[in-house]
Amino acid sequence: MGPGVRQDDIETGLEHGAKPVTAETIIQSLASGLLMGLLYGLIAVGLALIFGLMDVVNFAHGEFLMIAMYVTFFLFAYFALDPLLAAPLVAAALFIFGAVVYLLIVRFAVRAKANTGMVQIFSTFGLAVLMRGLAQYFFTPDYRSVTHSWLGGKTISVGGIYLPEPQLVGALIAIAAFAGLYFFINRTDFGRALEATREDAGAVALVGIDKNKVFALGWGLGAALVGLAGAVMAIFFYVFPDVGASFATIAYVTVALGGFGSVFGAFAGGIIVGLVEAVTTLILPASLKTVGIYAVYLLVVFIRPRGLFGSI
Amino acid sequence: MSITRRNVLLGATAAAALGPIAARAQASEVKIGVIYPFSGASAQIGVDAQRAFETAAEIINNKYDYDLPLARTEGLPGLGGAKVKLIFADHQADPQKGRAETERLITQENVCAVIGSYQSAVAVTASQTCERYQVPYISADNSSPSLHRRGLKYYFRAAPHDEMFSKAMFDFFDAMKKKGTKIETLALFHEDTIFGTDSGNSQLKLANERGYKVVADIKYRANSPSLSAEVQQLKAANADVLMPSSYTTDGILLVKTMAELGYKPNAIVAQDAGFSEKALYDAVGDKLEGVISRGSFSLDLAAKRPMVGKINDMFKAKSGKDLNDFSSRQFMGLIVMADAINRAKSTDGEKIRDALVATDMPGEQTIMPWKRVKFDESGQNNDADPVLLQYVGGKFVTIFPEQAAVAQAIWPMK
Amino acid sequence: MDQAFAQRRRRDLIVAACLAGLAALVPLFVKDVYYQNIMVLTLMYAALSQSWNILSGYCGQISLGHALYFGLGAYTTALLYTKFGVLPWFGMVAGGLISALVAMVLGYPCFRLRGHYFVIATIVIAEITLLLFQNWDWAGAALGITIPMKRDSWLTFQFARSKLPYFYFALALACIAWFVTWWLEDSKWGYWWRAVKDNPDAAESLGVVVFNSKMGAAAVSAFLVAVGGGFYAQFVSYIDPESVMGFQFSLLMALPAVLGGIGTLWGPALGAVILIPLTELTRSYIGGSGRGVDLIVYGGLIIAISLARPQGLVSLFARKPKADARPVREAVAS
Repeated sequence: MGPGVRQDDIETGLEHGAKPVTAETIIQSLASGLLMGLLYGLIAVGLALIFGLMDVVNFAHGEFLMIAMYVTFFLFAYFALDPLLAAPLVAAALFIFGAVVYLLIVRFAVRAKANTGMVQIFSTFGLAVLMRGLAQYFFTPDYRSVTHSWLGGKTISVGGIYLPEPQLVGALIAIAAFAGLYFFINRTDFGRALEATREDAGAVALVGIDKNKVFALGWGLGAALVGLAGAVMAIFFYVFPDVGASFATIAYVTVALGGFGSVFGAFAGGIIVGLVEAVTTLILPASLKTVGIYAVYLLVVFIRPRGLFGSI
Repeated sequence: MSITRRNVLLGATAAAALGPIAARAQASEVKIGVIYPFSGASAQIGVDAQRAFETAAEIINNKYDYDLPLARTEGLPGLGGAKVKLIFADHQADPQKGRAETERLITQENVCAVIGSYQSAVAVTASQTCERYQVPYISADNSSPSLHRRGLKYYFRAAPHDEMFSKAMFDFFDAMKKKGTKIETLALFHEDTIFGTDSGNSQLKLANERGYKVVADIKYRANSPSLSAEVQQLKAANADVLMPSSYTTDGILLVKTMAELGYKPNAIVAQDAGFSEKALYDAVGDKLEGVISRGSFSLDLAAKRPMVGKINDMFKAKSGKDLNDFSSRQFMGLIVMADAINRAKSTDGEKIRDALVATDMPGEQTIMPWKRVKFDESGQNNDADPVLLQYVGGKFVTIFPEQAAVAQAIWPMK
Repeated sequence: MDQAFAQRRRRDLIVAACLAGLAALVPLFVKDVYYQNIMVLTLMYAALSQSWNILSGYCGQISLGHALYFGLGAYTTALLYTKFGVLPWFGMVAGGLISALVAMVLGYPCFRLRGHYFVIATIVIAEITLLLFQNWDWAGAALGITIPMKRDSWLTFQFARSKLPYFYFALALACIAWFVTWWLEDSKWGYWWRAVKDNPDAAESLGVVVFNSKMGAAAVSAFLVAVGGGFYAQFVSYIDPESVMGFQFSLLMALPAVLGGIGTLWGPALGAVILIPLTELTRSYIGGSGRGVDLIVYGGLIIAISLARPQGLVSLFARKPKADARPVREAVAS
């Protein structure tokens, strides 16, 4: 029995899953997939950065995104600030938040003498649950949306292919963020300190770099990047306490696909995930579209156990 | 119903101390369990539901001049004026937790009836547990048709199920066609949960039976991060009617994505859910002028039955929202249950069940456009006629069926 | 054979027997079904977490996709019973065997992956299976499977009100999982795993045998978890993909072991005894507010325990640190 055909439908002759696919659908799907993929990359890059820095996977990453979207929403609701203008403020707020999370929780998790891996997974998982609870407590579980913004609902049409402006600008911000990050890590003192700390935390202590400070800044930077993503997402997505869940798994897969420790990997991973998602929806029932993403991840790591561009 | 030792002791002490007053005190409260999601992704539903149930309890427990069962009396006269007390429990959308909480409500809180539950999956286990303890369960807002087909004796549903809802939509299409509107092709868009699957199945079946062509049948993953590819397929299908079965989150994303991809369907006829939630219209109401949604409630009734408006005001004072399809069904769930308990003159499960079976509430004594409330042998009320509402100028107007309609449908939508 | 080690193992066995005996008596005093329900869940999670601990704790292969085996067990049991009338007792064994087989098939490519690549692979494999079941109409798709209610009977393992049969089954399962762990600790596999965990270089020299032992661990772990899944299907009498295969479930299975002490004999049971009643009670008594207070308490507690006691709560009972394992070098040599 093929997928989508029900047993009782054979009797009634029902055929599920009518799915119109035209050339235009394919091009449009790919274009949308590419834009969405760049956003996935932007959401995931903070995760990649933090992992690359200190081998920690933040299981509360989706909740960081949720906080960023709430900050954007409240700046809009109370100060009528457009999400685009709010983006730097959101990034700054998340920077502080990320650094505080490091200093209050992660610092102790990585210091654990036993089971460091599990401790950091579960302390950040606990943080995720806590943040969801707090969001529900303070913001109520209601669904919020930024109702009007400069870009919201606007779209550019090129030869019958629609490129929504929020995603387009989001994609540009993602590209700029990746370029900036690349420059930052390779060309600035702090970036070099970050790299050095990552490679040998003991040795940098000898040359007078405070490891905790570097890590805190690293977490801040990682969170700030999620902040940017959250500000863009808030333009076209809804906000509620559990909103991070849908993005978290995709973000982990994106980072792992690209290879842990590689910022460029997250960029490439995001694009691949976006495109694979689009293509899967053309072939399989839409409810199975993440299966495509997951299958590609497995395929890649079975061939290259460290992802596409991973070094660790 | 078991009587715990503590209650007996308390009762004995009270009887000794107060004499005749104790007898009244004993009957002063009737506990009803209300099981909803209060945390997790659908917590807001639980929060709104709580307000709806509290509104109903307030009307039952105090005197109001409404033509609604139990409104004009204080408490339940059949039980010596006992007040209804609601015990809320959180099932977190998990069938196992729903089962455990129902059991707790019955055995620890000694509730004499249970009302639930929003998620159909939880209704399955909660009602099964009620059956085992012979405590009546009312599905206030579960619309999965499979629920009343399990041969349970203690299961009741006063509201319509998805097949009745879908049938109303197709009746409407037939009526529109007769008037000369072109409706030939349909696009189904439903989520991959029980609700979406049931809804999609019944719509596909009805489309085949009545000769409509389904040009797109898209089952999508609930709470998707993106719906671009799905919407693109809907656009390519370009059906005469788009029929979404989506909750608030996906509903918002669907409408936004449609606008972004330049897709304007001729008409949207939605299977309620997200399309009757205030949050959705707050977010994308400007893009939904003329959207049609099925429902079992309409504020238009307030013109004919003033109490509907007043009850709506009571609910709005508590929740900041108008009654909608969900909150109105929740409200009625408690009214129907309390009415049965009152007539049973007892908190015994079997007697309440018999009273529920004997229920015959005229539609005028409800806040719904229903003919009446009367359960068939499977516990379903087949006289709960659904209505179709159209969102025009920031509010819903009833457009179908004829006898309830206050306006003509605007077709195509703007 | 190390004298102290053998002594400790004997003591563990006696303590376990005493605890199991005491646990068996508890329902005689606690008659409230709500509390009995919590005890059933506690024992079930103890069993699941103990089984998870075999692969993820002892063997060091952290799986956050064990809901896959749980779900396969639940679905095999429920489908065999509802579609072919096969009694759940056989269903549970069949589910266990299928899961063990699947675990080995998946283990073959996955055990080559390290660290987070492995963890994420386990997550996505479980998610893929969840989505396939969600769309598999013969298996009920999203509608799930309801086990029809019949008369109370041990044959069909169905009891309308009584929790006792479920309690004793869960207790037995927890004991079996504990005993298998106890037995493995002193087996060749146990030595190799400890060796690999303490010294990655040893892994190289032991290459093939360690790989095979991991496959074995995966199979044993999956089998036990799947039996737990079959039990759950009977206990709740309704299953759907989200409630038996969801990612949350994988985490819930791992959590008791992590909080109690990962890779320890007593950690999972201890973690379950603390965590499960706590989550159930917070939900029941403060969850009805709709304000997420239960989540705040639950999340805060996980952070606090995992930071304050990284080696798990079981370390509170340890007489001396590292009493747990024999020195590795000696173990490898033996």
